[in-house]
This record gives sequence, structure tokens and C-alpha cells, in this order.
Amino acid sequence: MGSSDLDRQIEQLRQCEIITENEVKILCQKAREILAEESNVQKIDAPVTICGDIHGQFYDLKELFKVGGECPDTNYLFMGDFVDRGFYSVETFLLLLALKVRYPDRITLIRGNHESRQITQVYGFYDECLRKYGSVNVWRYCCEVFDHLALSAIIDNKIFCVHGGLSPSVNTIDQIRTIDRKVEVPHDGAMCDLLWSDPDDIEGWGLSPRGAGYLFGGDVVQSFLHNNDLNLIARAHQLVMEGYKLLFNDTIVTVWSAPNYCYRCGNVAAILELNDKLESNYKIFEAAVGVDSRGAGVRKRAPDYFL
Amino acid sequence: MNSSRLEREEYWENEDDVVRGTNDDATISRMSAASLGYIEDPFVHFFVKRPVQRPPIINRGSYLRVMALTDIVQQFLQCSDISHKKQIVSLGAGFDTRYFLLKAGIIPVDSKTQFKYFEIDFPEMTAKKAFTIKRQNKLASMLINPVELSSSDYALIGGDLREWSKIAERLTHHGFQADLPTLFISECVLIYLAPEESQSILDWITANVQNAMFLLYEQILPDDTFGQVMLRNLKSRNIELKGIHAYPTLEAQIQRFKQLNWGGALAVDINTLHDRPSAQNEIKRYAC
Repeated sequence: MGSSDLDRQIEQLRQCEIITENEVKILCQKAREILAEESNVQKIDAPVTICGDIHGQFYDLKELFKVGGECPDTNYLFMGDFVDRGFYSVETFLLLLALKVRYPDRITLIRGNHESRQITQVYGFYDECLRKYGSVNVWRYCCEVFDHLALSAIIDNKIFCVHGGLSPSVNTIDQIRTIDRKVEVPHDGAMCDLLWSDPDDIEGWGLSPRGAGYLFGGDVVQSFLHNNDLNLIARAHQLVMEGYKLLFNDTIVTVWSAPNYCYRCGNVAAILELNDKLESNYKIFEAAVGVDSRGAGVRKRAPDYFL
Repeated sequence: MNSSRLEREEYWENEDDVVRGTNDDATISRMSAASLGYIEDPFVHFFVKRPVQRPPIINRGSYLRVMALTDIVQQFLQCSDISHKKQIVSLGAGFDTRYFLLKAGIIPVDSKTQFKYFEIDFPEMTAKKAFTIKRQNKLASMLINPVELSSSDYALIGGDLREWSKIAERLTHHGFQADLPTLFISECVLIYLAPEESQSILDWITANVQNAMFLLYEQILPDDTFGQVMLRNLKSRNIELKGIHAYPTLEAQIQRFKQLNWGGALAVDINTLHDRPSAQNEIKRYAC
């Protein structure tokens, strides 16, 4: 695949138009090769802009790029949950993936709990692939890519970024580096916890109401930061109405990048810009508006309610 | 595209059509929840032409809605200290299948309990429902001595809730007895009426039915961000929740009945139902 081919595909995807099944197959192959070389804890140099869940809200992702700058001008880290729930998981994930293949050093994608075969079969991505391509091949190619995504990232050795949170089986960053990550997200264990856990106002560890991962308190965050000589944990995974939320004396932050989540929640979204001195700047944005905010074909299909 | 085809396909949907359309929406959601095993309803598919699989959040909500309402209907029918003979009046029943679920024992009730089930909706709706029921032997056979669509324990009544006096006449005509313990049900129905219209229904019940219970399920909180987005999204489908601002909170819903001097009123939101330990066990069953 030549870079001009890829540039054309990126342009097409930016218009929210899908590329052919064969193009997806080649793109996913290339992406797997690149991702396979990445570490479980991918190293990133600041400046970088950190983004949370997107969930197939393509037009809101375009809004994000408007606010944060286009890739490759801006260096991006996306902390997972690219797919499911929104109407455009296919276009969203393929655009991010095409950017990854075109500019591998300017965009980092790490895995969220929705980048999983099991979850995508329930929450929309599988059905969307089937609807848009008439077969599940594209879903299969994407799931193989999911298995190669890094589990976390570390910015200038000071800021640890992960989709969900911490794990009782992980005390050090090095322990994460030893996980065999190229599998479907397991139901328990360190890899599962990193993608599923949530911070909570408790001491130590607690059971998660999600049925996977754990709840962890400020003391857990404090000792993880101390053990690994870190300043901050950045994570996503939970809707925050204000777009971002700092917890436990600013030791952990949730960044949420899907405005008006599920087209229903009325929340704003945020991205976190870190400059080369690792100073934070949160940028807030709202859902895309205008004739095509949900796309012409979808305007007839307002989100479901209980009527 | 040729213009004559366009003309044929374009039609004017009036306000009432939009409200009637919400029945399809609810029926499809129930079908989705039933086909995925969230709830048991072997009859809903008779009423759905084109099934759509709803997202998990809607299926979970449908589960909670059905379970909560079924629980109250059961409690009402089982409550033996009042009378074994009871009535249920379902306002704007649409394609609800609860009567058939009760008759089939899928919603179990004590065999001593006798009840008559009245369903009221626009004639356009009841005609479609009657047609479907008559076409399905499985459903029709559950009606004892079917006469049109009124039997000794079931009546499907066509009418407009905004003309309640006419509905009241039809109820009496079909054997409604004001002295029997009666459960009225409104599942997202009164909310489509102007507050004064729904009020006059409640006034009539208060004045005429000696022993009444009212089971009301409808949207609240129009003013938080979720509510604002909901009203906007529904407006894009021309759906207006006319009653939501008059009764915007759980407390306002309680006062709605207390002001009429009803003996007691209790209101809970769906999150509370979701977080109940008994619901949590079930949620574990279908969660992934």
C-alpha cells in the first residue's frame, strides 16, 4: 500500500465514507505489524494530547480534531474505547488506524475494554460491520488489531496512561511489561483489570459493580505513583459530565472524549494537552452540531427511549 | 425519482399518529428484550412485523420496566384481604401482552383470584390489536367466550382518553364495576396528554372508584442535561411529552395523587430499581 493510497483512504474516512473490505484487510495487516512492535507500556514523549473514550461518535471525533489540531500536527494518545454504542464505530476506528499506519510516531492507540470480541458483539461494533460490509470479515480483521494494541502508555516516564485503572496484581510498570497481551481480553487478571478498573472513594481495593476489574482507592494510587516514580495516572472508561475529573489530590484524572455520550447524556467532552514541561491544559468541547452531526442517514434514527 | 412515487410515499403524520407510533417503539423494545432472554414474553412477536435488536441499555431498561410493573400487578392481584374479584384498567394499552401473560400463567397469580382486564386505546390501535388476536388461535383461545373482543374477563375498548366520559361509558358497557378493587395502569401514556386532560381522568377515578390503585410509569426530570437532550431528541421525532413539566420529579408525582387525597403514594426511579439487590442478581445473569 503506497502512502498516496493511504492518504486517499484517510481523506475518504475523514468524510465518514468507508473504504473497501480489501483495503481494510491490508490496513489491518499493516497496523498489526506496527502495533506488534510496541511495548505493553508504550513510551511517548511530550508534548502530547490525551483523549478518552470515543465510542463510534465519528462527528464528535472530528470536533475533537478541530479543537486539538489535526494529526500529525498534534501528537495524540487515545486511551481506548474507539468502538461500540455510537453510529460510526467502523469509520471512527478505521480513521484512527489509518492515521496510526500513516503517522505511527504521532498517534498512539491503547486498548479499551470495548476493543474485545465479546464486548463488540453485544454493544454494536459487530452489528455495524455486518450492516456496512455484509459480512463479518471487517470485524474479524479489526479484532485481530485489537489483540495487538498496547495496554498502556507512559509519557516522559512520569505520567502513566491506561484505559481503566490499576490492578491488585500489578505493583510496578515492569510487571505490566511482562503480560502476554496478544489475546482476547481475559475475564480476570492484570490485563483485564487495567482495562476495566475504576477509582473510587474507598481504601484499598473493592469489588467492581461492572463484574470485571476492581475499584481502587487513593491510597492505592499514591503507592503506585510512589513505587514507579510517577506524577499522575491518566485514564478514561467513565463518563464525566464535565469532560474530565481529577481525584485524590490530583493524582489521577479521568478524561472523557465522547460529548453527549450515546447521543443522550448531555455531557461535554475533554482532551488533556500536555506541553513539553508536562504542564496540563484541559480543552473542553461539545457535540458536533449542524445538519450532519449524526449524518444524513441517521437523522431519521434518533436514539431510543422508553416510550 | 419520479414525482408520483414521492407523493404516494409522503404522508402527513399528525400528532396522534406520532403518539400511536410510540406503541411500536415500545413493542419492538419488548420484543428485543424477550428474544434475548431478558424477559419472558412468547406473545409479543405476534405484534411485531420487523424486529429490531435494541442496544443493551434499552434491553436492561425494558427488563427493569417489565419486572417492576409485573411485580406490582402481581401484588395487586394476590392481595387477598380486599376481595378475590378485581379489575385492571390499562390506559393506552397499545400492544401490551400482560393479559395473555397472566392467562398463560407466565405471570403467576393465585388461582382463586378472579379479574377482568380492560384495555383502552385509540380505535386505530384496538382494531389492529383485535385483528392480530383473532388471527392467532393461541391468543384467541385464551379469551373465554369471545364476543368481538370482549369476553367475561377481557375487554378491548377503542376510544380517546381525552374524551374520558365516553370511555367511562364504554367501560360500564363492558362490565366495569366501580365498587371492585381496580388497578389502573399508565405506561408512558398520561405523559402524552396535557396536564388538565390527565387530571380529569384522575379526578374521575377519585370520585367514582371506591378502591383504586394507580400504577404510573413515565419520564421525569426534563431539566437536567439528560432530560434536555431527551426532549430535543424526541422533538426531532415530533414526540412531545406534554405532561413532563407539570410533574417533573418523583415528589411532584407523589403530590399529584396526594392532592387528590389518595391514601398513599410512592415513587421510585429506574436507577433505584436497578440497584435493588434482587435486581442485581438478575442483572448478573444477563450482564457480560
